[in-house]
Amino acid sequence: MSSIDRRDFLKLVGAGGVGTGAGFVLRESINHPVEQLIPYPVPPEEFSPGIATYYNSVCSMCSAGCGITVRTREGRAKKIEGNPAHPVSQGRLCAHGQAGLQVLYNPDRLTGPMSRSVEGGELLPVTWEEGISQLAGRLGDLRANGQGNSVCFLSEGVRGHLAGLFELFMDQLGSNRLLHYDFAHPQTLYAAINRLFGEANLPYYDLQNTRFLLSFGADYLGNWISPVHHGLGFGRSRDGRDGVRGRFVQIEPRMSLSGAAADEWVPANPGTEGILALGLAHHIVNEGGYERGDRDAWVASLEAYSPAAVAEQTGVSADTIIRLAETFAGTQPSLAIGGGAAGQHSNGVDTLVAVNALNYLVGNLGREGGLVFNPPPAVGSGANGAQATYTSMLEIAEDARQGDIQVLILNQTNPAFTLPAAAEFRQAIAEVPLVVSLSSFMDETTAMADLILPSHTYLEAWGDDFPEPGVGFSAGAVSQPVVSPLYNTRATGDIIIGLAQALGLTDAFPWSNMEERLQEGWREIHARGVTAAEADDFEDFWTGVVKAGVWGETSRRVRPLAVESGVIESIGVESPEFSGSSAEYPFILHPYLSNTLDDGRGANLPWMQELPDPMTSVVYGSWVELNPTTAGELGLVEGDLVEVESPEGTVVAPVFVYPAIMPNVIAMPIGQGHTNYGRYASDRGVNPIEILSPQVEPETGDLAWAATRVRLVPTGQRVEIVKTGGVSRELGREIIQTVDAEPSAGESAGLSSIPVTVVHS
Amino acid sequence: MSFIDNFLARWQEYREPGYYKEFDYAWTMTIDLDRCTGCEACVTACQAENNIPIVGERGLAQGREMQWMRIERYWEGEYPDIKLGFIPMLCQHCDAAPCETVCPVSATYHNQDGLNAQVYNRCIGTRSCAVYCPYEVRYFNYNNHHWDAPLDEQLNPDVSVREKGVMEKCTFCIQRIRQAKDTAKDEERRVGDGDVQPACVQTCPAEALVFGDRNDPQSQVSQSMNDPRAYHVLEEVNTAPSVVYLKKVETDAG
Repeated sequence: MSSIDRRDFLKLVGAGGVGTGAGFVLRESINHPVEQLIPYPVPPEEFSPGIATYYNSVCSMCSAGCGITVRTREGRAKKIEGNPAHPVSQGRLCAHGQAGLQVLYNPDRLTGPMSRSVEGGELLPVTWEEGISQLAGRLGDLRANGQGNSVCFLSEGVRGHLAGLFELFMDQLGSNRLLHYDFAHPQTLYAAINRLFGEANLPYYDLQNTRFLLSFGADYLGNWISPVHHGLGFGRSRDGRDGVRGRFVQIEPRMSLSGAAADEWVPANPGTEGILALGLAHHIVNEGGYERGDRDAWVASLEAYSPAAVAEQTGVSADTIIRLAETFAGTQPSLAIGGGAAGQHSNGVDTLVAVNALNYLVGNLGREGGLVFNPPPAVGSGANGAQATYTSMLEIAEDARQGDIQVLILNQTNPAFTLPAAAEFRQAIAEVPLVVSLSSFMDETTAMADLILPSHTYLEAWGDDFPEPGVGFSAGAVSQPVVSPLYNTRATGDIIIGLAQALGLTDAFPWSNMEERLQEGWREIHARGVTAAEADDFEDFWTGVVKAGVWGETSRRVRPLAVESGVIESIGVESPEFSGSSAEYPFILHPYLSNTLDDGRGANLPWMQELPDPMTSVVYGSWVELNPTTAGELGLVEGDLVEVESPEGTVVAPVFVYPAIMPNVIAMPIGQGHTNYGRYASDRGVNPIEILSPQVEPETGDLAWAATRVRLVPTGQRVEIVKTGGVSRELGREIIQTVDAEPSAGESAGLSSIPVTVVHS
Repeated sequence: MSFIDNFLARWQEYREPGYYKEFDYAWTMTIDLDRCTGCEACVTACQAENNIPIVGERGLAQGREMQWMRIERYWEGEYPDIKLGFIPMLCQHCDAAPCETVCPVSATYHNQDGLNAQVYNRCIGTRSCAVYCPYEVRYFNYNNHHWDAPLDEQLNPDVSVREKGVMEKCTFCIQRIRQAKDTAKDEERRVGDGDVQPACVQTCPAEALVFGDRNDPQSQVSQSMNDPRAYHVLEEVNTAPSVVYLKKVETDAG
């Protein structure tokens, strides 16, 4: 036996031919069961202990629709990465996407259905059967009495077959009150694209191939529309493309994450971004050699926007306007994008029309490095169809007060937090006899519910997604459960199907669960034949799509270079209107979506609370950003508590002196100020949405959330702002080194000091 | 041997800490500051991969942050001519690492791949290494951290959870390197370019981070560090870092 080494020993064990000593060892190892480490009595085929299993799925942390790959070990999700095959994320992921694991494993998740036995009583656990039958009973009565329309369904923005399922369900009830509500949905951009190009869906902005990008207020690297994809485009436009470095300019009153990445940051008065765009257009049309047939029409409608006139309104010098216009027209391909706060003023749609019209003027439509039009999504009508605006939310609130809404069903949306106090939405919900929430968390709106039927998180449920805006071609992905459900929750689709069946709607809802519904839908996609070449058989196709986590048809659309008729004549941007007089309220409040907490939905994730705000390094709190000059005039320093007072209300937060904000503007991040939403979010910071004036953009009825005036009242108290960053200046340490775009010969020798192999002599 | 020769020889010895003179692999990361947007995806990716504890508001107020990968920000100029620069800061895996020479119990050492490694079981928590580190990328566990259940289900089983009194820092995701080397060994080859990526590199949306073996002149990282923009942060302290930064390009936009 002495000559048997470890390898031989294992061989013998494997062959089963061992002596007593080895048998003893084996018995010993069998005597120490390891079952508690492995959560499966009968493990699935692909599972082996100690080896990671990867599943492709779709991220639901924001509406971008990135494909993800989730690493699991022993049945638990360990890490989320981008799916390299997915055209949106291409193997990359943002901080929010990474933190999806803390949605799944959040200690404050709702673990099962709950109901209030009496009005205003406590929420007590019930079974799913009781919960479903309580709601189905109520819905059935209303439907039988022809009052189906008194059911209102309010969801977060969803796409794909789940959106279709909601539509079908409300249709069967006889209700047209189905709305998706997200605070940051780019409603005004949809309206602008529709007016300018007659397109119902957003175009794809090809950042990757553009050489000069002009961004009007769109924090596209932070949280505008599809930040991961924009990040990829930004990186690739910088270098590695063809030796030509893409440049870009950011125009906004307060420097955002994208503003920091820009080659030039241009502060412009809030709400005048569109006027500035027309100033550029004026120069391009009059002096820039614009020669298309509609030149006269442009000249006529842009008459009032000479650089000198525009300079006065925007606070940007005429020289800068002319310089930007010449670079924009002279660098091809170039691209202008607009959004964020720039689109949320009283002139929001006009502003975004003006910005996107710049793309038309320099011929950037439908070409590489410009604005590419998307084909309609493979399933459903896209994201904007059912989207609620501020005005439609007010209508819902009014209907609720009038008693026209008997049942309100909420799906993962939190309007009690993301609507201004002026909307009086909380008071309106209180009037609804039965409020049902399908949320996975006890957010502010769910806390007011009478019945809670908690959904799975996105990592536990079946679903699918068709990114909107797309990437210039049709793409979609199936999201699959990557772990078994943690709690007594159900997939949203299954809840709806269960409800429909309890209502006896089995003809319209023949499926037993969401997975079946998806398979039927994808059978149609397969039957369209474009991808059938890769898999004749549907089963193969389905397995292929689920496994790869992505599906696409790469044919692009061709569209003539034209704008809708009548657009040129109607082009023009009014001065923005603000609520409150400038004498009484001297500052314009610039609220922005937190880069770490989004519109507040990330506030219950400890990783997101601990992630320093990229610009200020503040963690776990709210703050008010002031220009150093303004702070000096008011005698305020970092940490001084001030009341931020608008005509609608007051919030109190500490001052943060922010070097890159206009002196007449103060900025506050959105995201904190939860009263519910779990241990990490509640009772922390303030919510600036509360004090926004109910000013709307007239064309869409969307909230002009950047159009509130405020004043600052020092409280005389101080707090210490918790932040991770130390000294915010380099003090000659040359930590971040820079180089001129065209290095002269002999300069920047590079890292000749590092040998390829380190060998010390 | 004259006194001076003796001194020089000793000095050379002192300047060559660790045990390896030639590295099997020389893991290197390049960070393109012209691409970095400061979005902090790398920070959260690192926290998820490496079981980095949640410190809490109080801990952060006391300066006890634990992010192995962090983004530093530096303002330059005054309004309206103002710029903000971001720089990802992580352990530089110096080949002449001051932290290694100071550790009284050799808890931090240089491994055969040129990594600056930390043996948690050996660390007695003198915190000298953190004092010696010019990049301030070593983090001390002032407390036993805990994860509110079931957040602990997310913990990566390939990475140990550290306890109170232990110093920790970026490992270049050594668990991933180990796995890639194991696989390569089974297939009887060297680890190829792109076989292994730390969590931060894998997630970076702007593709600002590149990781690989600089012993392989064909690797992407070797190409990247030959860029004329390459530099070391705090080059003057002579630590021979394995993290190479590429200078941010400044240009007139219009």
